[in-house]
Amino acid sequence: MASTRRRKGDSRMIRYIVLGSWALFCLAPVLWFLSIGFRPRTEIITPQPIYFPTFSLDAWHMIWSDWPMAAYLRNSVLAILGSVVIDLVLAIPAAYSLARFRYRGREDIGFYILSTRMMAPAIVAIPIFFLFRNMGLLDTIWALMLIYAAINLSVVTWIIRSYMLDIPKELEDAARTDGASDLRILWEIIIPACLPGIITAGVIAAIFAINEFLFTLLIASTKNAYTMSVALANFTGGSDGVIYNAIALVAFLAFVPVFVVVVAIQKHLSRGLTMGAVKG
Amino acid sequence: MARIELSGIQKRWGAVWGVRDVNIDIADEELIVFLGPSGCGKTTTMRMIAGLEDPTEGEVRMDGEVMNDIDARDRDVAMVFQGYALYPNMSIYENIRFPLRMRDVPKSEHDRLVREAADMVELGDFLDRKPGALSGGQRQRAALARAIVRQPQVFLMDEPLSNLDAKLRQAMRVQIKHLQRQLKITTVYVTHDQIEAMTLADRIVIMEGGLIQQIGTPDEIYSDPANTFVAGFIGAPPMNLIEGRIQSGTFVSDGITLPGTGITDRDSVTLGVRPEDCSVADSGHLAGQVYGVEPTGDQTFLTLRIGARLIEVKADRDYRSDLDVTETVAFDPGRLYFFDTGSGQRIR
Ligand SMILES: Nc1ncnc2c1ncn2[C@@H]1O[C@H](COP(=O)(O)OP(=O)(O)OP(=O)(O)O)[C@@H](O)[C@H]1O
Ligand SMILES: [Mg+2]
Repeated sequence: MASTRRRKGDSRMIRYIVLGSWALFCLAPVLWFLSIGFRPRTEIITPQPIYFPTFSLDAWHMIWSDWPMAAYLRNSVLAILGSVVIDLVLAIPAAYSLARFRYRGREDIGFYILSTRMMAPAIVAIPIFFLFRNMGLLDTIWALMLIYAAINLSVVTWIIRSYMLDIPKELEDAARTDGASDLRILWEIIIPACLPGIITAGVIAAIFAINEFLFTLLIASTKNAYTMSVALANFTGGSDGVIYNAIALVAFLAFVPVFVVVVAIQKHLSRGLTMGAVKG
Repeated sequence: MARIELSGIQKRWGAVWGVRDVNIDIADEELIVFLGPSGCGKTTTMRMIAGLEDPTEGEVRMDGEVMNDIDARDRDVAMVFQGYALYPNMSIYENIRFPLRMRDVPKSEHDRLVREAADMVELGDFLDRKPGALSGGQRQRAALARAIVRQPQVFLMDEPLSNLDAKLRQAMRVQIKHLQRQLKITTVYVTHDQIEAMTLADRIVIMEGGLIQQIGTPDEIYSDPANTFVAGFIGAPPMNLIEGRIQSGTFVSDGITLPGTGITDRDSVTLGVRPEDCSVADSGHLAGQVYGVEPTGDQTFLTLRIGARLIEVKADRDYRSDLDVTETVAFDPGRLYFFDTGSGQRIR
């Protein structure tokens, strides 16, 4: 008997090893970026292997002094936050309506919304350019907010809707008999109950927005609207050649905010907030 | 504080019937209990009173006013949902307080009312918890507290005690009855528990297949059942139903001969007799072999086999017997019921 029993510690050990290896594998590029970013430029392009790299802040100083990195960061953060806010304000009521109310063409409307995602962005790039030019919004972060919001709205709506469909209808019935209006129900019952979905959708929208390149390149032409992703592209050219260590640092800077946000809210990223609402 | 009338109520989802035809006049201040097997339409009827479901046909009236087009939140009812429906993101305190906030009860009253309601369901120590951190029975009591925290026109309670242990259930039953009498609030109560139905109800509504089988006081339902369904549904163990025929006033079935029924001759008749109206006697109406003996402490139930049929008899509390002993059973002649076998309706 005793020989077939397993000790708890053994399986936990294996679990740690597996998870640790996986984490290392995922984080390896980030560590590599960091190691490139804090080395002198000459050490990066040498073909000989280097076992004891020299630490250098050259690239770090360079990105802050030679480029308006602070402006790029600010543009990225504002455009992304703004677009996520716009998305949520529009998507939450839309998702609620699609999830709950019955009306003619509801399924069709749901599909139209999703279909905006199916078009190749290049097709609408030129019209969008003229649209923003006529509105006088070229090279502003307002244009970025709007375009990011537009790109992500369908996905955000769809994700939130699927979370709302999981909320038991009895909850709303209870709130209604308790005397709550539709808006109250949305605000006090539905939104808190599908908060994980709202956060998930917001994070996904933010990540899409951070990586957005085509429209940003089209709209931005100066540091007024350049974001990190477009700025990154600018390092690859110019008279100095490709500045790998600066690129690595900028990429790292673009990565950090997402990482921080995801870690901070990861407990909300799981489902299960409706636990305990109804029997069984 | 309201009279509720349901007239010609039907509810259908496509081809699925929830309720076929319900007519009830619930008096002001009455406590009416819906009793019936699973799926018979109790919850559906209740949801139509609450305004959460639109009747396909028929009218719901409160105090004479047609309510069909009145929104649930303007009906001033408080409901305990069968599935509790607690708000998962709010503490138990906030759950119970929610109706007070929605109905503009003065803020200064909230704390007192919430604590009173929580104490009544013995949940005072759990007010800070979220519903997810409570047991099933505690959640159910929280749902009950949320309904009784304010004084609506109507209470609707859908199996509010189904998940509690016997002791707590008895205590809550007394609380509910007391509260209802004290506040004089018209109450519709759904249960599967016959004891609950008998002890709480002013009147009981027996439903089956979306239809009302009988409405009456607990006494009427018990001692004057309208058909075999009601007869077989009420009572534990249920009434014995024995099929046979009437020949010159005598009920005849294999193993049973019962003269002087006072019923005109017919071919298919069902005799109903409750176990508690049968007794083991030296001479009686039928004889059978002991099939099982079930002592429950305060009473003993005896099952007898007569041919292919089993009959329940309530015997003396210290009656004991071996299997296959032959016993004779006498019926209380004043408490025999006859039903038409085809329609199930009572023959009077
Ligand atoms: N939304 C719905 N759509 C379709 N059919 C429904 C719906 N709600 C209820 N029904 C059906 O209506 C019938 C009555 O349901 P109801 O919930 O009223 O039963 P009940 O008497 O409350 O049963 P229980 O004792 O199990 O709670 C059932 O056959 C059920 O399947
Ligand atoms: Mg039910």
